[in-house]
Amino acid sequence: MSPLPFAVFLVRLTIGGLLVVAGFLKLRAPVAFATEIANYQLFPSVAPYVAATLPLVEILIGAGLILFPRPWRRAAEAVALGLTVVFASAVGSAYARRIDIDCGCFGTGGGAINGLTLLRNVALVAATVFLLRFDRGRATSRRPQ
Amino acid sequence: MVRLAARAGCLLGAATLAGLLVNGVRADGVRFSNFVAPNACANPGEGETSSPAAPAVEVMAPGDAAGLCGDPTTLIADVRSADEFAKGHASGAIHLPCGASGQVADTAVGLVRGRQTLILYGSTTADARRVAEEMRRRIHRADLRVVALAGGFAAWDQAGLACASGPCAACPGPSRDATQDPRHP
Repeated sequence: MSPLPFAVFLVRLTIGGLLVVAGFLKLRAPVAFATEIANYQLFPSVAPYVAATLPLVEILIGAGLILFPRPWRRAAEAVALGLTVVFASAVGSAYARRIDIDCGCFGTGGGAINGLTLLRNVALVAATVFLLRFDRGRATSRRPQ
Repeated sequence: MVRLAARAGCLLGAATLAGLLVNGVRADGVRFSNFVAPNACANPGEGETSSPAAPAVEVMAPGDAAGLCGDPTTLIADVRSADEFAKGHASGAIHLPCGASGQVADTAVGLVRGRQTLILYGSTTADARRVAEEMRRRIHRADLRVVALAGGFAAWDQAGLACASGPCAACPGPSRDATQDPRHP
């Protein structure tokens, strides 16, 4: 296996695994997770809806990155990019406003938001951009007619 | 590109639907109709959820409240904005703005432990009262006096009572990073 497809496979596995684990951890205490979302003070009225749906979205998209056939995997990568951009924006906004809250990244008790949390979220965005750019499947060789 | 967007929409839709279904059948799921976004301010109609044994929030003149300030069992909280807090606040006050998250309010509840009196002041009496009502609701202690300062910080300042400025080391909120005001070392 050449280095690039192997790197793509590793990134898929890492991002997919992270999303699945984060989704299951968020499923444990939905009300507490809704409170964590409301604490961001962005759109508190949608917090319960996000808390109800986000864990399953993360689990499905995470599993999709690892298991889905290529066309659907590409779709999962696109959704994963959207998710990571939203996460990084929310964390960046809380960090800029100096709100002292838990990240909620892995359900409740995930630790307070700091520079490292923001850096991790930006790295996740970069990783999903990398996936979308380079996960193009195996190159098919054309047979001479 | 269109196919990719359609597939992404399908995945998102299916997962959202599954999430709503799972939440709906769970006994401990989020209830959309009665979820209240937590913050340090009382919401209309929430007053009746406080413990029936807990006394009501008192409104007190600055002169009377100042008499309680020297008492180590008294905690003072400033509910104004971080900027106003940094410009000047009652000596020893923590910062607990109305917009503070529920988590910050919970931290403030922790700071009240072992205290007998909580005095809150804002720009006006009503500002202090809103946060005071919420703290009353969160703290189920009949022995705790929750006091809203009449006239707000202006009345406190005009009465010539003790003031301080700059960051607050014991604060649960964002003002702990507030810039030091050089006028009040």
